[in-house]
Amino acid sequence: MSAPTTPAASAAPPLPVQPPTPTGLLRLFVGVALVGIGGGLPAHTRRALTTRGWMTDAEFAEAYTLAQLTPGPNAVNLAAMIGARLLGGGGAALAVVGILTPGLIAMLTVTVFTLGLPGGLPSGVQSGLRGAACAALGVMLTAALPVLKVTAGIRFGPTLAVITFLLLAVLRADLLLVLAGTVIVGLILHRPRSGE
Amino acid sequence: MTADPLDILLTFARLGLVSFGGANLPEIERVLVEQKHWITPQLLANGFALGQVMPGPNMLAMTHYGFAAGGWLGAFAATLGFYGPTALLSAAAMTTWQRLSRWRWLPSLRSALLPFGAGVLLAGVLVLARGSIHSPAGALIAAVSFALLWRTRVNAALIVVGAAVLGAVLSL
Repeated sequence: MSAPTTPAASAAPPLPVQPPTPTGLLRLFVGVALVGIGGGLPAHTRRALTTRGWMTDAEFAEAYTLAQLTPGPNAVNLAAMIGARLLGGGGAALAVVGILTPGLIAMLTVTVFTLGLPGGLPSGVQSGLRGAACAALGVMLTAALPVLKVTAGIRFGPTLAVITFLLLAVLRADLLLVLAGTVIVGLILHRPRSGE
Repeated sequence: MTADPLDILLTFARLGLVSFGGANLPEIERVLVEQKHWITPQLLANGFALGQVMPGPNMLAMTHYGFAAGGWLGAFAATLGFYGPTALLSAAAMTTWQRLSRWRWLPSLRSALLPFGAGVLLAGVLVLARGSIHSPAGALIAAVSFALLWRTRVNAALIVVGAAVLGAVLSL
């Protein structure tokens, strides 16, 4: 499929914008990755896109919702979707490469150092990593809060979430079975009303 | 011990495809630690913590796990497997979105998937807590980090680096 060109008429951006180019797209997502240390990638992506005039807020919100619904890491899915929307399949590939490359280089460097040492990690480094892991737990909790909040507003949402938690964490049930069960029950509970 | 790169690729591809709303730590632990024995609970927690201070997506921990399982080739296979198929799926979903947005079952699907995602996240918190908290001091660091992130706008990477320094000083 060819790259979809956005209609120039609707919601004119304040400045005359440069159209997205492959290099520009790659540079945008490398930049997003670099400022996104510690999270908040979607927010950085949105800012980078709207300042360039490549996407409106409404278009971004649409892509963001869709990224939540597809499996996989949200920030990377979002990059693939935006790349696809702006420059087709090649754009999707460039966006994903861009958002992954800085972290990949950093992670491989640290990994080779920490895992490649003969006789394991020095105890100071291991203690430091333990401390970092405890803080990462706090990060994980704050990332979970918005999802928990939205779930609390869904009919039967808290019940289904607790059942999912118990099945996975306590009974160690197979994830795909739990997914299939939850989605089927959820679809039945929230089936579209006829006549709408 | 080095695992087969193809096995790594397929295993991580499956892990990526069953993650909704971010990382799916319970399944990652079940498969990589308990089933395949590629990594230890300690390495799971270490990789996750490292991911928090790397530029870009937090789940670059996958590259760390892949390296532990199969060296350089393993790191490459894990990264490609975890991110590749889901990115392809996302790009394809974007191109059919206009049609999907009118689909009457879409809100139903969202209401069905979100509670599942919340349950997975909660289970992930428990998995991570078991791997990383070994002492009262560790629990305190986790609680203080959470409170700081929740109540202030401090950068998460700064908090993780601070906790690493604290951990080294306290020798957790």
